[in-house]
Amino acid sequence: MKSYDVVVNHKGFVDLDIIDDMLHHLKIYLAQKESDKILRKRVYGLSVECLDNILKHSDLLEEEHELIINFPPRFIIEKIAENYLIHTGNIILNENKLDVVFRLEELNNLGAEEVNDLYKRSLANAEISAKGGAGLGLIVMAKTTREKIRYDFEKINEKFSYFAMQLNLKK
Amino acid sequence: MKGLNIPETEKSPRIFFDPVNSIFEMQGNSRPENVRDFYFPIIYKVRKYFEKIISKKQVEKFNENYFKFNFKLDYFNSSSAKFIADLLLLIKDFNDEGLNMKIYWYFIDGDEDMKEVGEDFSDMISFPFNYIMVEKY
Repeated sequence: MKSYDVVVNHKGFVDLDIIDDMLHHLKIYLAQKESDKILRKRVYGLSVECLDNILKHSDLLEEEHELIINFPPRFIIEKIAENYLIHTGNIILNENKLDVVFRLEELNNLGAEEVNDLYKRSLANAEISAKGGAGLGLIVMAKTTREKIRYDFEKINEKFSYFAMQLNLKK
Repeated sequence: MKGLNIPETEKSPRIFFDPVNSIFEMQGNSRPENVRDFYFPIIYKVRKYFEKIISKKQVEKFNENYFKFNFKLDYFNSSSAKFIADLLLLIKDFNDEGLNMKIYWYFIDGDEDMKEVGEDFSDMISFPFNYIMVEKY
């Protein structure tokens, strides 16, 4: 039977302190239970990128408080045998959905070398947004996992959807 | 010009910029809360220093003793990567203008990902790095 562990299971509001706390506990878990140093750093790195993404969308929640109850930000890490599954979820503006789909589909259709080339080109041309993002997070996720990124959108209303993403990190 | 000595925190790297001894060093983790506020003044200061060297026609200052950049990074997020890339591009540009620069990219034994990151950066700016594997920083 494959071993199974829930490493992190967070559903609810996210801010910088909550992220720091989650990352602190993740670091302890990985130091104690993950012997592969490279995998340890990859899980940690992916988690930072996922949580940064969730945080960047969290300002929407202030104007739509009641949405949090039914559609809370989500960050879950499962360890199945020697591999990790990372699930994220956050509210997204419908007007941004097409852009996210375009970027994910572009990444999912590239091979590992092409993702690497895209990363280098994007690094040289990236601009830092008002929220502090460089727009490199999704590329880093594809580059690190070398797997297709699974995703889904659930329409909440005319303005918002819930964006769910799943990263598969194999040993 | 005065240098910089910013201590390392859990979220931001130590920054040590010593113009007198021609050394710049970055060490630790990087996922600062406001990445722009952290890196902008550092990059600005480094740029101003080398611009001054060029405007004073002191390019030969580093002919024998090159300016050494040490990167000893453990982890950095993608927003930090953008600023590290900006700094590396700056180093390459000033090197192209005649200042003698060297980049030393450290990585911990077994952390091949960090070495690869260095190779990606080197490739991106078309400038050779010296790779140094160590047991610990």
